[in-house]
Amino acid sequence: MNALPIDPALAWESLPALFQGLQVTVFLTVLPLLIGLALAFPICFARMSARRGLALPAETFVVFFRGAPLLILLYLVYYGLGQIEALRNGPFWIVFGSPFGCAIVALSLNHAAYMVEVLRGSLLAVPHGIVEASEALGITRRNIFLWVRMPLAIRYGLKAYQNEVVSFIKGTAIVSVVTITDLMAVANSIFEQTYDPFTPILCAAAFYWALVNVVRIGFALWGRWLGRHNEDEAVRAARAQAPLGISGEVLP
Amino acid sequence: MTNLSLADLAGYLRQLGEGALVTLELFLASFALAFGLGVLIGVATLARGRLIRAAWRVYASIFMGVPSLLVIFLIFYGGSAMLGAVLGEFGARIDISPFGAGVAALGIVYSAYVAELVRGAIENLPKGQFEGARALAIPPLVMWGRVILPQVMRLALPGLVNVWSFMLKETPLVSLAGLQDLVASAKIAAGATKEPFLFFVATALVFIAFSAASLWLATRLEIRLDRGQRRDPARTPARAEA
Repeated sequence: MNALPIDPALAWESLPALFQGLQVTVFLTVLPLLIGLALAFPICFARMSARRGLALPAETFVVFFRGAPLLILLYLVYYGLGQIEALRNGPFWIVFGSPFGCAIVALSLNHAAYMVEVLRGSLLAVPHGIVEASEALGITRRNIFLWVRMPLAIRYGLKAYQNEVVSFIKGTAIVSVVTITDLMAVANSIFEQTYDPFTPILCAAAFYWALVNVVRIGFALWGRWLGRHNEDEAVRAARAQAPLGISGEVLP
Repeated sequence: MTNLSLADLAGYLRQLGEGALVTLELFLASFALAFGLGVLIGVATLARGRLIRAAWRVYASIFMGVPSLLVIFLIFYGGSAMLGAVLGEFGARIDISPFGAGVAALGIVYSAYVAELVRGAIENLPKGQFEGARALAIPPLVMWGRVILPQVMRLALPGLVNVWSFMLKETPLVSLAGLQDLVASAKIAAGATKEPFLFFVATALVFIAFSAASLWLATRLEIRLDRGQRRDPARTPARAEA
């Protein structure tokens, strides 16, 4: 056994397949991120509503889809929903009949549940006085939300959003259990063909690492752009966060 | 809707119970490893040395940037070869069980998160705590064990609870390496009975219930650890994370 457990020839050969897997992983990240975010807004409003009839179902949704492991959600959608006769004969079978559809549904629901909490935390972090001042100025509720609360909430919640997106990307690695050939599945199949336990998996690890860090850099740039009106404060905030570690990385 | 007899159901429930025990063992062992390793790494990498800091950055960046499932597979498939490289002929003959691979992988991955929390908590402690201990000539081991780390635990507790509940949701991944845990048993039962909906929802509820119970305990623990800090014991923690 040589010092480095990586076989460069095999790594080079498997690059095209790994790139294809990466594309699937990116696709399975972007689409559920968009759907989940779109779902999160109405659910978050329901969750924050004063009416119990709205808040309770939303809370149940969050508790279930956030508390259940993603693997079980995926099994539930992939195996469980096929059990329902009406669904199998209905028009939605195009979605639930395919592994991709199931994976996207499960991932979106999971992401939506996390995003409800991220959104809620960010909206609650907006100082109440600012909202009251806007109301006193006679700004409509819709405009207050769009132009006062949301812009601030995005800034407060950016770090939490980044953490959720990063852990979501890593979470997509399980979709191979429903026969989707994402990055992880490609690495696994190369392992099964060659019995080289290191080269394919370490190459896939490098791809995941690169993807995650591209997202991190993207968020850092976004955060800097959002804080462009106040560079000093941004620098101070970054310093205050520094003791929490290299990148302030925490779990959502 | 259901076509299960009561005896069948009891049998499957027993199997699920056994699986749940495996999952619980795996989770507790992994968390213990992550916690121990994380505290050690957190304390060790606080040193000013540039090399140590660089090593920590690389370690954290790798294990925070790579899916746990990938680390599980890496250790499960490649663990024997790795042990062989380190321990020689003897190590190569050790077979890695799914359980061992799972504990090692989850422990290593989450030790990075724990270390991050511990580092942050230590750096947020007032300098006077270290200076006071030194002025009183308290030996380093006692200082860490009796002065610094107890305070660190209080500061790091909310983050540790997050790691706890997040890690719990990642334990089912080890079933993909062949471990007969709760999720694997549920999958078998679902396939055999053609009742996947029932079994997977039940499994999900087990995880949610365990998570909720431990969160409740954590809140109690947090209030207790904070008792010297705040005058109002009925204070509700600001954190409402699940």
